[in-house]
Amino acid sequence: MQILMQLIVSGISVGMIYGVIAFGYQLSFATSKTLNFGQGEALMLGALVGLTTVNFLIGNALGNFWAYVLMLPVVLAFGALQGSVVEWLGVRPAMRAKSEAGWIMATIALGIIFKNLAENIWGRDALKFPSPLPEASLSFGGIRIQPMEIVVVIGAIVLMVAVELFNRYSIYGKAVVATSNDRDAAGLMGINTNRIITFSYALSSMSAAFAGVLVAPVTLTGASMGAVLGLKAFAVAIIGGLSSGLGVVIGGLILGITETLTGYYISTGYKDVPGLLLLLIVLSLKPSGLFGKAAIKKV
Amino acid sequence: MLKIDNLVAGYGKVKVLHGISIHVPKGKTVALIGSNGAGKTTTLRALSGMLKPESGSILLGGKNITGLTSHDITRLGLAHSPEGRRVFSTLPVMDNLLLGAFPRLTGMRAKGDVDGDINRMFELFPRLKERKAQLAGTLSGGEQQMLAMARALMLNPDVLLLDEPSMGLSPRLVEEIFHTIERLKKANITMLLVEQFAAAALDVSDFGYVMENGHIRTSGEASALQNDPAVKAAYLGGGH
Repeated sequence: MQILMQLIVSGISVGMIYGVIAFGYQLSFATSKTLNFGQGEALMLGALVGLTTVNFLIGNALGNFWAYVLMLPVVLAFGALQGSVVEWLGVRPAMRAKSEAGWIMATIALGIIFKNLAENIWGRDALKFPSPLPEASLSFGGIRIQPMEIVVVIGAIVLMVAVELFNRYSIYGKAVVATSNDRDAAGLMGINTNRIITFSYALSSMSAAFAGVLVAPVTLTGASMGAVLGLKAFAVAIIGGLSSGLGVVIGGLILGITETLTGYYISTGYKDVPGLLLLLIVLSLKPSGLFGKAAIKKV
Repeated sequence: MLKIDNLVAGYGKVKVLHGISIHVPKGKTVALIGSNGAGKTTTLRALSGMLKPESGSILLGGKNITGLTSHDITRLGLAHSPEGRRVFSTLPVMDNLLLGAFPRLTGMRAKGDVDGDINRMFELFPRLKERKAQLAGTLSGGEQQMLAMARALMLNPDVLLLDEPSMGLSPRLVEEIFHTIERLKKANITMLLVEQFAAAALDVSDFGYVMENGHIRTSGEASALQNDPAVKAAYLGGGH
């Protein structure tokens, strides 16, 4: 029983990371019906820029904790900028050309370019990210939790709640929701929907970069860290539904927990199988996702 | 206030408007009538920038707005209550109204009294006040139409385009909508009204334009059109 609880607790923090990245997919999909297939690379770049920033700050006699705190705004700003570049170079030209699939290839291509860039700047080896908190596990009734795992869960929730509050209470947030609802009608309200889409890409990559610096102290950092995370988070976005914020959290938790359970009870070699099986099952039974609303196409 | 000169527009290679000219004077209501597929909705779409005109010119209060994006045109004071209502279904009624005032709330248009205008909308459409916290997607068709009109009015527009406000509504609601249009007219709102209920539209309008296959076939004072035998025979029969 205790082992089971331990596995579930570990699964939760992994799952929340998947949830945050998947949330990023949703943000751009909502407004533009496109998404960044280089989302994993956005995460990786965020983590590496974060690493360089943290090391620089620690080099300037700051402690690990304050270096991490001061690094956050830098990484968030970098993520927003990187997302804007992806939208501008990869998505906007394809949408202007009314290309159905151009943005898919363009965002994948940009992802590969970013990965190559990172390999040349930071090398191919995995790097250790200085943890802002003590790495010794805390024990809660025999269940061991790393302090950073708690930060992951809190950070993920804070990010999603902040975006939700922005959407609900600010006029710009309402403009984002209006654009997701009906882009043409939003234009008739005087909303520059091109700018809203750039903004949602900025926010999307910002979420990924944030997920990157949340997960980096727990795992390792490196140019190849994003690919698998990005793919799994995509599965989570499909499982949870591309339109439901609650869906990606639950989807992330389901995937995170089934992974740790499979890793322990079956074999770490099969760790990735149940999540992808779940993806296939959801796609065949409820294509809009567990929590997604079925799209009604008016003819 | 709104002057359309020789406007040509269409979808890809299919031309729908073959050079139409319409004048909407300040404070007046103009009805654009004609059968299905005549190009009435396309005209409004070209005016508000949802569709790029191929040639011709559109002047709003003397300013050339031809070919501008719809958000720029809206910010300059042209409000469009589109065909099919297009309310933001996952947002509450209140947020839909606030979004109508988006340019006023974000410094792109004179702000005025937004709260006061919301109250005026609730006076004009008491049903919306009862439902202000309800999601727009859960409203009835008639209520959605009222919301679409109120949302457009929240711009404080110089010109209001109304596309088929009566479409799909029960006779009682159609009457209510036309009453509202009359009240807006009394408040000196400049309107271009597209309607299939030609007789009712001409009743509330100062001028009328009759459209046929992308051309303006005839135009004039609304009362004159109502008595024009050709217009009567083609559009005003059938009890309306």
